[in-house]
Amino acid sequence: MARTLETPLKLLSALLALAATVARIAAQDETPPAEGQQEEGAGEEGKKDDDEEHAKYFAIVGGDVVPGIGGILRDVTILARNGKITEIGHDVFVPEGAETLDAHGLRVYPGLVALGASGRITTGNLAAEGPEEDGGVAEPEEEIRFDALLPVPILAHPKEETAEETPDLQAEEGGDEMKSEIEDTFDPFSSQLVLALATGITSVQQQSAAVKLKRYEIEGVLLGDRHISTLTWSVNNPSNIRSLREKFERASSYLRDVRAWKDRGNKDEKEPSKRGVDATALRVLQGESLAYFRNGAREDLLGIARFAQEYGFRPVIEGCDEGWTVADELGRAGAFAVLIPRRRDPKDERFTRPGGASIENAAKLHAAGVQVAVRPENTGIDTIGIAGRDVLHMPVEAGFAVRGGLSEAAALEAMTLVPARILGVDHRIGSLEVGKDLDAIVTDGDLLHYRTFVQYTVVDGKLVYDKEKELYFAHIRPRPKKPEEPAPAAAEEPKAEEEKAEEPPADEKKDEAKDEESGGDDEKKDEPPKDDEG
Amino acid sequence: MILTSLMLLGALPGGDLWAVRVKRAETVAKGPIEHALILVEDGRILAIGEDLPVERGIPVIEREDWVATPGWINCHTRVGFPRGMSSRTFDPQLSPEIEIDPRNDAWKELLELGVTTVGVYPDGTGIPGQAIVLRTRGDTLEEMLVHKPAYLSIHLQANSSSKNMLREAFSKVDEYEEKVAKEREKWEKEQEKKKSKSKSSKKDEDKDKKEEEKKEEEKKEEKKEDTLATQDEKKEEKASDAFVPPEPDEKVKPFLDLRAGTLEAMVSLSKAADYLHLLDVLEHEEKVHFSVEFPLRNDIDFYEVAPKIGEKKLLVVTQPETTLQPNSIRERNIPAELARAGAKLVLVPRDDSVEGHEEWRTDVGRLIGQGLSREAALAAVTLEAARVLDLGERLGSLEEGKQADIVFWSGDPFEPSTRVEAVMLEGRFVYGEVK
Repeated sequence: MARTLETPLKLLSALLALAATVARIAAQDETPPAEGQQEEGAGEEGKKDDDEEHAKYFAIVGGDVVPGIGGILRDVTILARNGKITEIGHDVFVPEGAETLDAHGLRVYPGLVALGASGRITTGNLAAEGPEEDGGVAEPEEEIRFDALLPVPILAHPKEETAEETPDLQAEEGGDEMKSEIEDTFDPFSSQLVLALATGITSVQQQSAAVKLKRYEIEGVLLGDRHISTLTWSVNNPSNIRSLREKFERASSYLRDVRAWKDRGNKDEKEPSKRGVDATALRVLQGESLAYFRNGAREDLLGIARFAQEYGFRPVIEGCDEGWTVADELGRAGAFAVLIPRRRDPKDERFTRPGGASIENAAKLHAAGVQVAVRPENTGIDTIGIAGRDVLHMPVEAGFAVRGGLSEAAALEAMTLVPARILGVDHRIGSLEVGKDLDAIVTDGDLLHYRTFVQYTVVDGKLVYDKEKELYFAHIRPRPKKPEEPAPAAAEEPKAEEEKAEEPPADEKKDEAKDEESGGDDEKKDEPPKDDEG
Repeated sequence: MILTSLMLLGALPGGDLWAVRVKRAETVAKGPIEHALILVEDGRILAIGEDLPVERGIPVIEREDWVATPGWINCHTRVGFPRGMSSRTFDPQLSPEIEIDPRNDAWKELLELGVTTVGVYPDGTGIPGQAIVLRTRGDTLEEMLVHKPAYLSIHLQANSSSKNMLREAFSKVDEYEEKVAKEREKWEKEQEKKKSKSKSSKKDEDKDKKEEEKKEEEKKEEKKEDTLATQDEKKEEKASDAFVPPEPDEKVKPFLDLRAGTLEAMVSLSKAADYLHLLDVLEHEEKVHFSVEFPLRNDIDFYEVAPKIGEKKLLVVTQPETTLQPNSIRERNIPAELARAGAKLVLVPRDDSVEGHEEWRTDVGRLIGQGLSREAALAAVTLEAARVLDLGERLGSLEEGKQADIVFWSGDPFEPSTRVEAVMLEGRFVYGEVK
């Protein structure tokens, strides 16, 4: 039926196309509503109804793409339509009028996802002080204290305190009304947001929500919400563990009852009562959220791993400092580990067993099958100094895990896909694949190298950061010169002003890059997304 | 044309008709006029032009060294009022009227600085009430009060509670409108019943009609109070006697007026993102007219939304000041950027005190030196400010028919050395020696 209608419509439009003014109207009429990919970008222009004609294309041309799911694709083009990736490949047709970004000689990575980032990134430092302020509530801004007698900074808020604040969080997670207010507080002009984009971060965790760092606009910033349920576990507090067990026991027996009730299919029988069933435990067991623990000690990790296996859910464990000693157990539990690679945690000398923080933690956990994510010690971001502004150097943080033996591919995943999974938004972000959002960063070298700078950041198929044009890092190692012969697609690329082009190390950097690639090749999986497009 | 009107004027019996000749008149609406003659009658400007001939018998005050501008207007002030209440309230019905102290010295001082009209906003944050317009002269509240309400004051910040306050206010209006619609339906049914009855006894039809007409008149009177009354309603109600919509709550009424376009809002913001959140809240309230107000201070990022504001040609109230771009020592002239983007700029003193009003004109002058156009600067302290107060038809420029609120300066008003020579308020000299 639809097909028969389509042909006359096509004919009609072809006829009308002669008269340019009328053609437009016709095109609007025949636009199939099932086009599907209606995105915020197109929705914004209310008058431009015509999806096809006004679809916004964005192409990153000629870069070496590291899609974040293994491997590297050399000299390829990523094409996005209305912010969603439609094609990745060598001979991609870039439609006329598409905005293009020339990435020849540069590398393209998925945008980073920062777990536990300061609320100031999304609410700005101009945010009014008050109880409403969303930002920075969960994570104290200045966590680190410097003690003259100690050689290194120590945590001002020891772990015990998190245990205190958790009951509140638990209550919040349980109630259905506790939603992220980020859509009402988001500041797309925050200078911290620009800094985060300069670091390569395109999405951040704010409490239990995943927030996309959109610039210049506030629509569609909330990617996902309430995918994390914070729970406490401490061997020093057995009564707490007991009550947690009781909650999970009751929730799982409730679920069993419901399943049995459904199987029986008896209409007269009442549905099992939800009364007294803990909402958080129920959400975790139903897979609606992930149980999030903050633990580091071996005994706690073991306890959590066994508890999780018993009830069949995958725990997320932040800290996980002694995880390397019980890696196999955590791997069996299918755990996620949110690591802070630089964290210093001394061994408990009362025991002879291995313990304390280890630089190999990430590598050993990953080898055992634990999904490893990386977050910095401190959640702050700023240009003043380095210590305590760790979010500004996320890749360096992951670099420490690589130093301890983690593969580079896994280190990239630890900043992209794994955090996206933890936040429940890996269907949208976390890797460069067809169908996902085009949140990408373009760097002048290997992301994990300390010299590397993010040159461009693209969010939802829009260029939102250009190192040369922002105040922050334009003067530090200006952008390397492009290769002589410009790619045809990049002809109208507007960044012709390369005044600061006397920078030599383009070649040097390439060499570095090659070295690192060969290192990362072990992790190479199947040739990614190009085939997926159909 | 002016000549003919003058001839006519001459023919009129004298009384309160006289003229002032000055070196230059800044009309604001029509640019400067050299050697201007301003003809004033009964508190209004009768004519203004270059070297106008004057009928014999009309007294002319010759002041070839003076510069005339419209009376300056500060549309957002609390000079002479207590202030500093920071609690967030939802009292859209309140007005600062009761706080007025006509004996306060500040009024006289402002008048002598050339400020003839002020818009006084209600204290507090949230939605603290409606502003009022005062002339800076008078012994009683009635003498000072020009007009109320001037605008509804709304403070909006990027957080849920602030946004929800505004959202709820409009949802209450929705509720009220629903209620009205229901009552009307009910009432219409009743009317139909009555009609069918009356039709069965067709005798009194003519009488009925007459009655209807009478009632319609009554209804119209009632309608004057009811802002909701639209033409559709009137048509519907012509059928028979008046439908009286229920009286809205005093806290709902201002928002009803906003929606109807009979009241405007002034939204106080504190950063660029607040503006986007304001648009988010008002997404479905296309008819609501508003101006925005924000304090200028270092780190303000308002230039980010200048194009968006300019596109809408919004009235923007701010201070004559340059600021630093966040995280930098780059100076930005945000008022000039806004004016260039197309926004209608309104400038109020940097410091809301009598001293602040003294510095006001030199601050504006400095901003002109830093890139703001002179025309925009003049309009920013007169005509556009009058528009904020909903008095753009009456005040703010030297044009025929407008109220004769005129400040006579010894030279360019933006020069620091310039003094106020005389101030005319509604056609009468209220300051300065004029012989």
